[in-house]
Amino acid sequence: MSEQLIITLGREFGSGGHEIARRLAERFSLPLLEENMLRHIAEEKGLNPERMERYDESPRTRVFYRTVNGFSNAPEDVIAEMQFQYLRDRAAAGDSFLVVGRCAEEVLKDYPGRISIFVLADQWFKKERTMARGAISEEEALELMVRRDKRRKHYHNQYCKGKWGDSRSYDLCINSSKLGIQGTVEQLELYIRARIRTNRLQEV
Amino acid sequence: MSAQIAALVIFIVMFVLIVSERIERHIVTLGCALLTLVVVFGLIMNSKEAVLEALSLHSFTHTSFWYQAGGGSSSTGINWETITFIAGMMIMVEGMGDSGFFRWLCMTIAKAVHYRTVPIFMTFMVMSAGLAMFIDSITVIMFLAAVTVELARILKLDPVPLILSEIFCANLGGSATMCGDPPNIIIGTSLGYSFADFITNTGVMAGISLIFVLIYFYFCFHKELKPASGAVRPDHYPDPKEAIVNRQAFVTSCVIFFFAVVLLVTHAQTHLTVSCIGVLAALATLLTAGKRAGSLLRRVDYKTLLFFVGLFVVVSGLEQTGVLEILAGLISKASGGNPLMVIAIIIWGSAVASAFIDNIPFAATMIPVIRSLAEVQGIHMDTLAWALAMGTDIGGNATPIGASANVVGTSIAAKSGHPISWGKYCKIMAPATVIVILISMLFMFVRYF
Repeated sequence: MSEQLIITLGREFGSGGHEIARRLAERFSLPLLEENMLRHIAEEKGLNPERMERYDESPRTRVFYRTVNGFSNAPEDVIAEMQFQYLRDRAAAGDSFLVVGRCAEEVLKDYPGRISIFVLADQWFKKERTMARGAISEEEALELMVRRDKRRKHYHNQYCKGKWGDSRSYDLCINSSKLGIQGTVEQLELYIRARIRTNRLQEV
Repeated sequence: MSAQIAALVIFIVMFVLIVSERIERHIVTLGCALLTLVVVFGLIMNSKEAVLEALSLHSFTHTSFWYQAGGGSSSTGINWETITFIAGMMIMVEGMGDSGFFRWLCMTIAKAVHYRTVPIFMTFMVMSAGLAMFIDSITVIMFLAAVTVELARILKLDPVPLILSEIFCANLGGSATMCGDPPNIIIGTSLGYSFADFITNTGVMAGISLIFVLIYFYFCFHKELKPASGAVRPDHYPDPKEAIVNRQAFVTSCVIFFFAVVLLVTHAQTHLTVSCIGVLAALATLLTAGKRAGSLLRRVDYKTLLFFVGLFVVVSGLEQTGVLEILAGLISKASGGNPLMVIAIIIWGSAVASAFIDNIPFAATMIPVIRSLAEVQGIHMDTLAWALAMGTDIGGNATPIGASANVVGTSIAAKSGHPISWGKYCKIMAPATVIVILISMLFMFVRYF
């Protein structure tokens, strides 16, 4: 395997995916790409990131937009394609990084150094985390979880052949509520190191 | 009755599938066309004549396809004249784009007004309308919006006001001539109008409207057009000459474009049909392109041409089964026999429909309707045709999905980091659309009644 390491991490809302991604990025000394990706793109192209952020990881409403000769006027499509291209460019340049969401497991599927992970969790675990993070009621937390997961699912499934959260779309799916955030990070670290070793052996 | 229901169901399914974009639109129209031929004309009507009429292949062998002394195509079915003209113009425009013509034109105009923001804003609107009179608005906006983004970056301007105003003017310019917008080509070839007929009717309406539109957009955007505080270095201004990719191809494409415009303007005198002019422009482009000819042919948007083929067959299903006559009867009833009301219904109805659905199938569907209305109500066909043309061409401006130029323009804006929401788009463009439709309707009331 090439020395390139690309970790893609999909997640359910409230599963601790962001926290797990942050800790893994630290352990493997990888740049973490998530919401900050649009800022990088905006800086590179001299654009205003604030205008773009509202369309980040959002599905497009099919009836409200059209595509003509390959030009889609759905801002969601354009922002998504910008992010996909950014990921492709960084991967093609040989960079290693960890990316959260953004259909990365499919966009970068041809890179041998790519390891794709999906983090899910039990309802109670996601609910407690969501309530604590947002200081909101149980009802509000449940409603927010459903809404955000629905949005992520629609966004993902619009641009990918593999379905969001379907185990066949990822190398590894893990339930973070069984081992907690720390335990999940440790197991994922073991898995990633094993993958790196296996791939090195295959290369030899 | 069963033929009418089947034709209507196929038509509705086609429209829903086009809007949903789940299947490519040319596959949708071709599939629905096949259903129309087999189910409606074959199984239900059992009419070989209806199939032949819908395919309309015999039109190629008629002299009137190439040379016509007057009158429109009386037959229903595939309007091969429209398709041939659009194909020919596609090849010519590919040749022009290849040579750097559009970028050169934009840069030359920007240089001529010394890169000052308000004059660029105004001249680009007029240029957009002017080019769209002869070239399809998608191509006009594709090049114009790309150059606008480039200039806006240099001049530290927000490109959105410029792109929105250019989109509007491209659609407005397209309404002025027979070859500017696909609905006009369909209306012109189906009903036998000439370039001069359009320019002296819809052209006058578009011209008057353009003055109001320039003022309207200036008042909407004058604050955003103030020059940026940071000085822009003149050496950063692009040189128009650099836009010319291939000097020989540039000169050739300019000459071919000039002759195509002359032939279109004078086709009522020369009696050359638009399909003949399209073929001549394409042949001239291909013969002078040399090795580039193959690449030009490969880049032709065949999917759009196939979309037209399927669409005309499906509409023919509605026409031959009498569904459109029923629709004409309903419009006639709603108007209470008042010709002014009929015109108002046609122009506003077309505008509202075109704001949300593709105006090409709408125009193709409405032609038999206005034919029938002219017979039943005794209103002059011309007046109905101009109302239909202005409604379909201008109505598309109101929403981001109403016309293809809107989609391409807003897509280019978004790619440059300036996404335009529905709210922002409609807030500016819908009032402008209402203004132009109102001007056109009042013009028709005064001039034709």
